[in-house]
Amino acid sequence: MAMVRTPLMFGRLPLGGRRLLFALALTGICLAFAFPVLWLILTSLRPESGVYYVHRGTEFTLASFAEVLQDDRLLQAFFNSALISTLATIFSLLVTVSSGYMLSRFRGPAAQTWFGTIYVFRCVPYISWVLPLYFVAQSWGIYDTYIGLLLPHIAVHICFFSWLMKGFFDGIDPSMEHAALIDGCTRWGAFIRVALPSAIPAISALAVLCWLFTWNEFLFALILTGNKVPVITVVMAQFVTEMGLRWNLMAATAVMALVPAFLLALFGQKYVIRGLRI
Amino acid sequence: MAAIVLEKLNKHYGSLHHAVKDVDLTIADKEFVALVGPSGCGKSTTLRMIAGLEDISSGEIRIGDRVVNHLPPRDRDIAMVFQNYALYQHMSVYDNLAFGLRNKKMPESEIKAAIDRATEMLGLHELLKRKPRQLSGGQQQRVALGRCIVRNPLVFLFDEPLSNLDAKLRAQMRIEIKRLHAQLPTTSVFVTHDQVEAMTLGDRVVVMKDGRVQQAGTPLSVYGHPVNKFVAGFIGAPAMNFLDVTIAKEGDTVVAQSPAVKLAVSEASSRALEAYKGRRVIMGLRPEHLALGDGVLSRSFAAKVEVVEQLGSEILLETRVGDARVTAARVPPETVVAAGDQVRLSVQPGRLHFFDPETENVITG
Repeated sequence: MAMVRTPLMFGRLPLGGRRLLFALALTGICLAFAFPVLWLILTSLRPESGVYYVHRGTEFTLASFAEVLQDDRLLQAFFNSALISTLATIFSLLVTVSSGYMLSRFRGPAAQTWFGTIYVFRCVPYISWVLPLYFVAQSWGIYDTYIGLLLPHIAVHICFFSWLMKGFFDGIDPSMEHAALIDGCTRWGAFIRVALPSAIPAISALAVLCWLFTWNEFLFALILTGNKVPVITVVMAQFVTEMGLRWNLMAATAVMALVPAFLLALFGQKYVIRGLRI
Repeated sequence: MAAIVLEKLNKHYGSLHHAVKDVDLTIADKEFVALVGPSGCGKSTTLRMIAGLEDISSGEIRIGDRVVNHLPPRDRDIAMVFQNYALYQHMSVYDNLAFGLRNKKMPESEIKAAIDRATEMLGLHELLKRKPRQLSGGQQQRVALGRCIVRNPLVFLFDEPLSNLDAKLRAQMRIEIKRLHAQLPTTSVFVTHDQVEAMTLGDRVVVMKDGRVQQAGTPLSVYGHPVNKFVAGFIGAPAMNFLDVTIAKEGDTVVAQSPAVKLAVSEASSRALEAYKGRRVIMGLRPEHLALGDGVLSRSFAAKVEVVEQLGSEILLETRVGDARVTAARVPPETVVAAGDQVRLSVQPGRLHFFDPETENVITG
């Protein structure tokens, strides 16, 4: 056993003790992450008077959920968020996948320029895009429309996720595509018929990430939409009213907003993990 | 069926790297040519230029009577086997085999017939429904061979197809490829860094180094008459021994001598070495041409055994001769010899090779 390397800290402990400590550490980390979510769920189940005493009262109610579900604007926000997330995912993947492939397989001025462009955009702080985007959206007359929110999201996805996609394609052996070229495919055909199907795990992973990114996004939505296109993250924040903070309603909305993201992460995680492993 | 002609073929990567230099090579119809050399010698690049996967910097490639310089790979009517098999991972074995034929818009019934023939030849019947990742390396490479066969192309190209297989499987696949070429005589180019593969498979062996063809010839001529020190050292296992010697004349005989060695030279070599009298040359001795035992004094020299490698079928002796290392092979396995022993190694004068120390080219008359 002398050759087995163990972390110095636990090195002297017997194997069972090391396992126990490891399990405790993991549990601690999980709790640290889960605690705010648990608190949120608890808050959403408390009556309005109890939100500041979540840790004390024993009174629980679903009234907050019932109240927010009466709100048409909230339901519309759910629908809008889902629609925009889905559309942004589809359209950005169309570009991201082919741009990642180009970055991975091609050299030359076109690829280099593209590489440089998305590199620069990635380096620009996210928040500094918002104000110019607002003015552009105003002058193009797309402020507070689907398209006005979709376009920036697609642009951000392309800049952020082309890199990931490049990494995935770097991991796929190009000789398969070379075999396809010899077997009668054009360059484009080899991409569509051979490279793309092998990248499906990666593309699924990316789809999950894209969807969640847009679903959770707040800043663009806040600045680029008004009353006509409410989205869930913005609506959630609007429970700050002149009557005070409606914490219970905000928590109930947040819990509902968590559900699709949670489900997607739950069922999508195997694709994400498989995709990232390529 | 088609010959391949390479004329003044060059490949530059940027301005710094000149990967393939003025390669001239004619591969006859139905010939099996093995391109061999150390890694980075340009053999794979040459193959990929024939395939159309790399652009040509200058020169010309003809397949049959067509110049294919600017034809995309799909129009060259070639098939290629890759080192890592390059099977389409998301398709079944059957679909892998059918892929190229479907691209040619061949009717499914004919495709099936072609695949039946190929699977018969390669014993792939049970594997047709499986996905590539469910196959072993050897099976995958057989499918890759099948994918080439069904296409019935003008040319087969092999890019180190056996390198990922273990030693035993490699030997099997070598025989399989050889049998296949006998059954379906098709012009073939086989790239490998393994000289044993090159020697056993090739009708002709082309040795490359630093982007240049060093020598092209039958396996026997490349082995027996290497044109330079590199080819001599590269072809043959264990590798040829090299000793620095001086050429001198003793009476009527020409001898090659160093402080530790003094060997009479054959008549043919004597004539070739005429101009080198009194000068230093490099002498090459193949380990398998050295025999243990006294023999005639003028054909043998003393050596001190350093390492004894018993292979069962023979013994390899690692010896020291003066300050040079000399390997001897084909020593009978029952010979009693131990490290530290003084032995005499003898060699037939006709088996000696001489190389110019500056150009490293073989010295011939």
